Amino acid sequence: MSEASWKKNRKHRSQLTRSQQRAAWGLSAPAMILLFLFMILPFFMSVFYSFTSRQLVVSAKRPTSFVGFTNYEKVFTDKVTRQSFFNTLEYTLILVPSVMVLATLLALLVNRKARGVTIFRLIYFSPQVVTMTVVTVIWSAFFSGMEDGLFNMILKSFGIPAQKWLQDPNLAMPCIAVMSIWQCLGMQMIIVLGGLQFIPEEIYEAGTIDGCTSWQELIYITIPQLKNILVYVFISNTIYSLKMFTQVFMLTQGGPSNSTTTLVYRMYEEGFTNKRVGRTSALAVVFFLIVLVISQVQNKVTEDK
Amino acid sequence: MAMAQNQTRKYVSNTLFYVLYVAVAILFLAPLVFLFVSSLKDETQLISDMTTMKAFIPYGKMGLDNYVQVFEKMDFLHYFRNSAINAIIQVAAGLLINGMMGYALGLLEFKGRKFLISLMISLTIIPTEAVVINRFLVAVNLGVVNTVWALSLPNLAIPMYVYLFYQHFRGMPKDLVEAAVIDGESYTGIFFRIMTPLSKPIYATVAIMSFIRAWGDLLWPTLVVRDNTWMTLPQKLRSLNDSVYTYWGQIFAFSAMVTLPILIVFLVFQKQFVQSVAMTGIKG
Repeated sequence: MSEASWKKNRKHRSQLTRSQQRAAWGLSAPAMILLFLFMILPFFMSVFYSFTSRQLVVSAKRPTSFVGFTNYEKVFTDKVTRQSFFNTLEYTLILVPSVMVLATLLALLVNRKARGVTIFRLIYFSPQVVTMTVVTVIWSAFFSGMEDGLFNMILKSFGIPAQKWLQDPNLAMPCIAVMSIWQCLGMQMIIVLGGLQFIPEEIYEAGTIDGCTSWQELIYITIPQLKNILVYVFISNTIYSLKMFTQVFMLTQGGPSNSTTTLVYRMYEEGFTNKRVGRTSALAVVFFLIVLVISQVQNKVTEDK
Repeated sequence: MAMAQNQTRKYVSNTLFYVLYVAVAILFLAPLVFLFVSSLKDETQLISDMTTMKAFIPYGKMGLDNYVQVFEKMDFLHYFRNSAINAIIQVAAGLLINGMMGYALGLLEFKGRKFLISLMISLTIIPTEAVVINRFLVAVNLGVVNTVWALSLPNLAIPMYVYLFYQHFRGMPKDLVEAAVIDGESYTGIFFRIMTPLSKPIYATVAIMSFIRAWGDLLWPTLVVRDNTWMTLPQKLRSLNDSVYTYWGQIFAFSAMVTLPILIVFLVFQKQFVQSVAMTGIKG
């Protein structure tokens, strides 16, 4: 290669890199600008304001000042906020195990080569397309607290007294969990089904030769092979339950007697009803840290392969 | 003899499976059947039916009266238009913006690429709920509150979608890019003219995800849209549900019409729909 053509080639190369560089940043710019404005900036604002007394509307009467860790103290001492942690935990403890067990059972049920089985998969999946606001409208009709509500009439036919459902502090959260499970179960089933179909046929064949019963097959082959998928279902549903808001906002507004105030609903109340940006930001930071820890658990558990 | 027995057993177990399939299907479908059946019933009959299993059976005086009322009295089309415009902006502009960045991260070499990839992965962890109040303050400062821009702009760039596009484009052959560059195509041109047409499935997947998200969101619209001009369907449904003066039949008709568009998209694009779910499942 002559000196001149080598130089020309190099020049051409660097031109290419430069135009690639420019194109890449140009193509990334719109997303980056929007993410900066609506994700990164608000995130750092949350951290910053969590140490201040910032109100939603700043006035001369209520200037913003640094308050140290007061807002964080309030997260754990404010009665309703503390209650919201327990409520969210209750919801998560009902929803996540139910979804994991039921989704796995459903996936096993539809993981057969039977005629028409794909149609049943679609049917089980279909509640997923119903917007959550509509889900709550439908189920609040079933969970009517009146004597002659649908579920109360069913209870009555078994001789069980009528319940107040969503107006009963002990039952409101389980009721909300039931409708949420109905909506999301089909989707989780599809995810587990995807995992089932990844399990190599040979393992089952080896099991059959060793004289495995179907129960042993499930315990020693299927579930261990599904481990990563089940961890994923566990984590994603946990995070999903921590974010629960719409159901409460539509049906109970946190009541009765704060039994359904969730973390996100509390943020809404503190931020927009009580107009305390500082306190809301502290709660938001704590909320973020919880989600962060949980999503790191997934990485740790699924890493060892 | 043994074979016949085997066959009988297979037959019985098959039948049992179908019985189970149908039983579970009824559990999943009943609330939907209830919604559509009730939306067609006359209010008096609806109220008395709601206390028994008759609630699930289409019979008696049925018609589209409730729907007519929803259009005439509740101005359904106004809220539908708002929701539709918002969803179209979010889906179309979102696909473009997230797709472009995903392509840059996946196929181009540039300084800062590694940093941007890890930034995207970190951002997928931040739940929007954790930034929502300060995102609201940003929207206020931008002066977009009560406009369609407040609804859509913050929901265009989604780290998860950028990541899905990045994963997709990373799997595309780099030779395609190099060949096109030799042919004189620009890197931006390659994205629009070569890569996008080759990537329809991932676009369909992300489009479905972002449509569902845009259509159903209640928290963010509640914060940034405080008057009627840009109020969305879920917001309107909430205020109807709260009011004691609204008829059940009309609430159900309204709900049915909120559900129908997604239901239709679902029935038409079943495969992509289910795929989009499997995708989030595997990619985490």
